[in-house]
Amino acid sequence: MSQLGDLVGVAWSGLKARKIRTLMIMLGPIIGVAAMVSAVGLTESAKGALQAQLAQLGTNLVIVQAGGTFGSQNPTLPSNSVQRVENMSTVTSAAATSNLSGVIAVPVQGASTYYEAFPVPVRAADDNLPSVLQVPTIDGRWLNPTDNRLHLRSVVLGEGIAKQYGYLPGETRTIRLNNTNFGVVGVLGPVALDPELDNAAFVTQWAAKHVLGTNGRPNQLYVRAIPGTTQQTANALPTAINLGSSTQVSTQIPTDVLQAAAQANKTLQQVALLAGLLALTVGGIGIANVMSISVIQRSSEIGIRRAVGHSRSKIGAQFLLEALFVGVLGGIIGAVVGVGVVYAVSAIAGWVVVIAYREIPIWMGLALLVAVIAGLYPSIKAARLEPLETLRLG
Amino acid sequence: MSTQPFDTPPYGVPRTDPLGDPRTVAGSGPSANGEALLELESVSRVYGEEVEVYALRDVSLRILPGEFMSIVGPSGSGKSTMLGLLGVLDLPTAGTIRIAGQDVSTLDDTTRSKLRGESIGFVFQQFHLIPHLTALGNVETALLYRDIRPKDRRERAHEALSQLGLAARAHHRPVQMSGGEQQRVALARAIVTNPLMILADEPTGALDSANAAHVLEIFRSLESPQRAVVMVTHDPTVAETARRKVSMRDGRIVADELREDVPA
Repeated sequence: MSQLGDLVGVAWSGLKARKIRTLMIMLGPIIGVAAMVSAVGLTESAKGALQAQLAQLGTNLVIVQAGGTFGSQNPTLPSNSVQRVENMSTVTSAAATSNLSGVIAVPVQGASTYYEAFPVPVRAADDNLPSVLQVPTIDGRWLNPTDNRLHLRSVVLGEGIAKQYGYLPGETRTIRLNNTNFGVVGVLGPVALDPELDNAAFVTQWAAKHVLGTNGRPNQLYVRAIPGTTQQTANALPTAINLGSSTQVSTQIPTDVLQAAAQANKTLQQVALLAGLLALTVGGIGIANVMSISVIQRSSEIGIRRAVGHSRSKIGAQFLLEALFVGVLGGIIGAVVGVGVVYAVSAIAGWVVVIAYREIPIWMGLALLVAVIAGLYPSIKAARLEPLETLRLG
Repeated sequence: MSTQPFDTPPYGVPRTDPLGDPRTVAGSGPSANGEALLELESVSRVYGEEVEVYALRDVSLRILPGEFMSIVGPSGSGKSTMLGLLGVLDLPTAGTIRIAGQDVSTLDDTTRSKLRGESIGFVFQQFHLIPHLTALGNVETALLYRDIRPKDRRERAHEALSQLGLAARAHHRPVQMSGGEQQRVALARAIVTNPLMILADEPTGALDSANAAHVLEIFRSLESPQRAVVMVTHDPTVAETARRKVSMRDGRIVADELREDVPA
């Protein structure tokens, strides 16, 4: 045990005596482990944020879009699409919106020229749209049956439009839609699964038809399927809606995009892991190179140690232990750097930090293994040095 | 590869001891009657495989406890090879080397290294101190891997340095010391294990005359009835300080003198 302590002391002093050299050969394991830890950490953190978002949004939403033949403007779905869809056994709820493409929304008097040039999309929406989207209003309320029944001219703003209009929470605001005043009753929260809704103003189906003079046929449906049947529902929806007619219907599962993003991150993670492995390998070659040169530079020291009674195996073990220390320290520093990178990037990106702590010992072990393998040749070379050749006697 | 020399010299080389000491030279050496610390018996050392070069040829030598010996000879006479063999840093191609009666050729590297560490202390011309270690660390190197507690090891190293007047230099590195001081640190490293034999290779070769005289004085003071001191040198002044002087030429011992004018 005491001899092992001596060996550790000798190897450590050898490394400590050449700090810059030690740091240089440690860079390989440091970069390698840091790359691997941060690659996994960053992609997992990013994925963690995506997964949290997916869990919140639900992966069972299908957006149905009316398609048209080439050149047709504002294609629509049958007016009873919602009923048709709700009859499907795998559908739990559905809501429709209609694009009111001819309607100009003007938030303040005198701004009509600007808003005619850059019109804000106005949509007629069903009462249950927020519940289907699982997005609450962030201010006021959503359109409700009372608005329809009492023929109230109410409007709800998307989150983006509310900002653009400078709408203040709780403010009593009137905007003009095609020269008719509508009272703002609420603001819908951000809709991650269909960000287009953030930039729209919503009115009731009654107002669309009777105040703004549109046909009231829906352009989009938002459909919630029973979890686990989303794809199946998406496949069946066009048939359920057009019932053999020529109406073109396209469906989209918006969370698929997010999942694809997570998948893309997985590929990135694999590339970064490979880069880390490459850094480790190149670092290993660096260790072998520098230590081999070091053996030549330290041949006199080796000769002295042999002269004072250190055996070949002790000399070999001394150099191997130096390589091992490089691997261990490089691995530890690399892991700390990697974790630091994950924390820093996550803080900037606003992610929840996810670090695979259980995997870190694997990367560190790999760095250690590479360092020890790299140290084998120089160690054998050191052990085989003939003291007589290094001491230049006589 | 042949392990036999080209020609075998006559047993024993005429010695020049004016007192007609009965001890022969190459056969058993002076003081043949005592128990030898180290014994070379018909030792040859050949280098090269295709072309054999004899560095030592059928050399026999006995070194007894208490002896103060110099080995002299011109360049290429085999002094360095002899030093390597005496210090068990090398093995003979033919013949036997015994330390305290034990044939070193039969030992594995670990045992041989242990034997070397415990029995022999080296002093080199170029000091050969480890540059990144302090004087204390250099002396401690000789006590490593011996199951000595670090505290005891440090104390012993301190003691050896103090003995050579270097206590104040214990924490200095070689570059911070003069040549004479470095050689004294090397001496401290050699004596700290209390070896049976001190082997010195041109110990004053890199020193000025004042430091050389001081180091030689220390060597004289290291003499003890249990220990032998062997200095390899081509400097006649250094050689004259030893009571026994072994002269080499062309890989052979050509003279082995006991000088009565040098106090024992």
